[in-house]
Amino acid sequence: MTSLTFGSVARHGRGWLPLIGVTALVSSAVTLALPSVLGHSVDAIVADTDYRRWFTIAAALIVTGIVCSLIDTFAGTACVAGTTAWLRHGLVSQVVRGGAEGSRRFDTGDLVSRVSGNASDAAQAGPAAVTTFAAMAPPIGSLVLLALIDPWLAVAFFGGVILVVGVLFVFARRTAQISLAYQETQGRISAMLTESLTGLRTIASAGTTDREERRILGFLPELHKHGLETWKVLARSGAQAAIVGPLVLVAVLAVGGLQLVDGRITAGELFAASQYAVLGAGLGSLTGVIGEIARARAGVQRAAEVFAIDSVAHGTLHLPPGPGRLTFDGVTVATEDAVLLENVHLDLPGGATVAVVGPSGAGKSVLASLAARLRDPSVGQVLLDGVPLAAVSKQALRTAVGCAFERPTLVGTTVGDAISHDAIGPVRTLAAARATHAHDFVSRLPEGYFTPLPKAPMSGGERQRLGLARAWPAQRLLVLDDATSSLDTATEMQISKTLTEDRHRRTRLIVTHRTATAARADLVVWLDGGRVRAVGPHQELWQDASYREVFG
Amino acid sequence: MRRELGYGVAALRKRPTLKLALWSIPDILPTAVYGVAVAHATDNFLAGNAWQGIAWLGGLVATACIGAAGSHQVYGRLGDLVEPLRDDLVRRVVGGALRTGDDAAVARVNRQVEIVRDTFAGLVLVIRNFAVTLFGVLVGLLSLAPLIAAFVVPPFLVGFALSLAVLGMAANRVRASLQADEELATASGMTFGGVRDIAATGAEEFAEGLVGQPIEAQAAAERSLAKVAALRTLCFAVGGWAPLLILLAAGPWLVGRGISTGTLLGGLTYVLIGLQPALNTVMSALGDSGLRYVITLGRILDSGAPATTPRPVDEVNGYQLRLRGLTFAYGPSADPVLENLELTVSEGEHLAVVGPSGIGKSTLAGLVCGMLEPTSGRVLLGGVPPSEVPVERLATTRVLIPQEAYVFSGSLLENLTYLLPDATIPEVTQAVEAVGAARLVERLGGFGARIRPDDLSAGERQLIALARAYLSPAPLVVLDEATCFLDPDAERRAEEAFAARGGTLIVIAHRISSALRARRILVLDGNKAAIGNHATLVRNSPLYRELLGHWQPGGDQIQPAS
Repeated sequence: MTSLTFGSVARHGRGWLPLIGVTALVSSAVTLALPSVLGHSVDAIVADTDYRRWFTIAAALIVTGIVCSLIDTFAGTACVAGTTAWLRHGLVSQVVRGGAEGSRRFDTGDLVSRVSGNASDAAQAGPAAVTTFAAMAPPIGSLVLLALIDPWLAVAFFGGVILVVGVLFVFARRTAQISLAYQETQGRISAMLTESLTGLRTIASAGTTDREERRILGFLPELHKHGLETWKVLARSGAQAAIVGPLVLVAVLAVGGLQLVDGRITAGELFAASQYAVLGAGLGSLTGVIGEIARARAGVQRAAEVFAIDSVAHGTLHLPPGPGRLTFDGVTVATEDAVLLENVHLDLPGGATVAVVGPSGAGKSVLASLAARLRDPSVGQVLLDGVPLAAVSKQALRTAVGCAFERPTLVGTTVGDAISHDAIGPVRTLAAARATHAHDFVSRLPEGYFTPLPKAPMSGGERQRLGLARAWPAQRLLVLDDATSSLDTATEMQISKTLTEDRHRRTRLIVTHRTATAARADLVVWLDGGRVRAVGPHQELWQDASYREVFG
Repeated sequence: MRRELGYGVAALRKRPTLKLALWSIPDILPTAVYGVAVAHATDNFLAGNAWQGIAWLGGLVATACIGAAGSHQVYGRLGDLVEPLRDDLVRRVVGGALRTGDDAAVARVNRQVEIVRDTFAGLVLVIRNFAVTLFGVLVGLLSLAPLIAAFVVPPFLVGFALSLAVLGMAANRVRASLQADEELATASGMTFGGVRDIAATGAEEFAEGLVGQPIEAQAAAERSLAKVAALRTLCFAVGGWAPLLILLAAGPWLVGRGISTGTLLGGLTYVLIGLQPALNTVMSALGDSGLRYVITLGRILDSGAPATTPRPVDEVNGYQLRLRGLTFAYGPSADPVLENLELTVSEGEHLAVVGPSGIGKSTLAGLVCGMLEPTSGRVLLGGVPPSEVPVERLATTRVLIPQEAYVFSGSLLENLTYLLPDATIPEVTQAVEAVGAARLVERLGGFGARIRPDDLSAGERQLIALARAYLSPAPLVVLDEATCFLDPDAERRAEEAFAARGGTLIVIAHRISSALRARRILVLDGNKAAIGNHATLVRNSPLYRELLGHWQPGGDQIQPAS
């Protein structure tokens, strides 16, 4: 995918942009013209000349303004909503197709904020770019027109503005301190609540709920006190604003009034001047307009970082018939600062149970993720029945290879969904759940397989069983990366038995810390410091004291 | 919506509300004087009386000062209204969370309560300002020229009424938009957290669809909100622009009736500076803050404490435990976790419960301790169903120590005497020594030491919980894997202490060694169960033999953390 820029985001809504730009310009023109036209209308009424013409112009301007506002509402929304959705789909797709390695440097929460918040900020790029000029026109134009009516009016205006700025400055500083104290107390309350929630079973059984409540709410009076402080600050600045607010207008009116006495301007012009003073006060909101562009720019930047993730490329080959022979051919995995696996040569026979053991940091999980093609080697290749995994089509790859993890993340809306999301059908889901003993607890959930995931709190062992069930349908190779570590020994035994007696005769690559699992395997791959230290049956390796040390 | 609005209205307590209304009166002054001052100033300037014109404008500034004093008080009174409301919401959230165990409550304390606090204050303020402006403009117009009021006020009110009607339409759309937002966050959080798993199962398209749905829902919600925004623009046309045009159209006629130029300009000023901004603000505030207030408050009110069923039985005779045909399932269509369980545990017995994880051992503990109600059959503790005895009374008969030990920030002594607040120091010392926590107490710095749960290991927290339970007055002790983070020796010491403490001991076993110490053992296997001592179970229960088979002394666990 080509890189994402402010321009490319803006161009996505190009169909709408001319319309949005034109209506914004027309609106601004209407806003600027209206005070003058109203002033002329009043003068015309008093002088009783040309009244009808000025009234018609005023009415036409107002109607035009309303129509522009309507068009802008629809066009703006259509443009932003469409672009936002397009960006979001793109972001999700980019993350999902980049695989685990692609998005490793992003936190989940960070990615969520990019999709929910930043995408909609970025989508403003187009409208913001075409409306900036139009948005600047009314306040700046007003000041120009004010000066055109009489330069002293503009001077009076700025005198008033300086006072307003002062008030806002004082306000911003004071609130920051007080709301900090408020937030800290709030944080204390939620920290205590979090603590109590972890001990809920103890609290409920001891009947001390009320006592806990009193303890946590003990901080409430303090929160109340800090809360009242925030209102006091608001009160002071609110009062100041109430005095300062009309000052700009009064200053302009007083200076304008003196010009009126001298007959240099008309009553209508004085009225127009007062309106321009009000519009000119919108100068402060110009920072908002510029801020919007800056936000859109930042949003595009944040989205672009995700768009830069490379998608995992899959080949087009099918796998030839075969037993599931797994070959590591001179495989090295290196990151910027470490070598995780070095020059691994392994030829694992199809249908065998292969245990992978070694101290932590030996590269066991890296080996497992290579076998499941969750990452690619820096050097060398991994082959399944003679075909490099990178050359196999995605569909063929995922039908052939399944992978279960120590801490599986369940994705889906219901428990059943999390086991099997595509149309494998309930029969195979059920078979997989039975084989991995997930059925035992899923059937006891309030709505069985249809229980929504958030409503099915699960222990680590239960999650692992679902993770196993999810990987179970794999046809040629099952990779279990410490995937039964949280199961009780009895259940683990039963699952291993099912695995050993596997009817499908799949190749099984099992990362494990348990002696029993290694002992039952046909072959053990012993890793140490990213290298293969030895390959052989457990009984043979067991003679070596340092091998025995691996199991503590 | 009615409930939320009712809640808001009820929160307007009499005294602060009355004060707020009274202090709003000086605030009306500048609004009312605005147009009048502009009118008279203009007329004076036109007549060449410069200083009189300036004086009128000076009067405007003077009233602004009076108004400022009023708004100063108004904000203060606003605090008196809003802070008690916030207090009440925090109370509800905390109380509800402690009774439902809802983890989301922590976010609620911080975020949602603040949203309601801000939007409620904003609404009170905006509605007050609207009333002040409307009242002020009305007073000003009437004193200036009642005729102008007759032209300006009716269309304004029509526009306002129309925008209220639009508000009802908007509510559902805003709700849909907020919901789509939340679903998007949930779905994308789940997906991004599971990228590795998605890749491993080839579920890329599925995941894209999972997030794609809320993305499209969100876009659709935005588009349908645009229609509401368009209607709002039309309402504003009626309420904000129509009065202006009517005034202009009637201008010649009004001037003919002796209305001065200044008065006409005053009327226009009232519309442009008073009515239009007021209408604009109130419309967007009601449409935005108002709906956010209703929806967020609705969430908080929904999550309040559940209605508790009364527990009428107050008479517990002893602590013998009898289970008769006990069956329990987590839902009407779920398979039962326990089925037709029969068991009697006499006073003073020592029973161990074993079985694979997830088999229902903790459920059994919950039933025995009266935290769950049987689906059918009976649990009798001291002759009565424990789920019908008030928890405070129950706490003097049985004590449950769960796997997740509860330690709170506070002094060590507070933590230890949690179940017996008036325990004496010698009693506490004896309990601490009995369960083997003496060294821990010493390391922490004695009973007076302040402790924080995060500074302690899981095993240390369990030791504190054990000493606390040992002190409890209850004769029936249920250890639900309460020693799983202790090493086998520490576990033995703690269990022996409880066995020697007197009363009944039920141990949900984490290691098979716990079972070997018990007089009787209950083996749970699916919804079957076997009961007996070690010798009979080795003969009769294949599962027990299997569990025993995996156990190496001092080594493997049969039951990991769950």
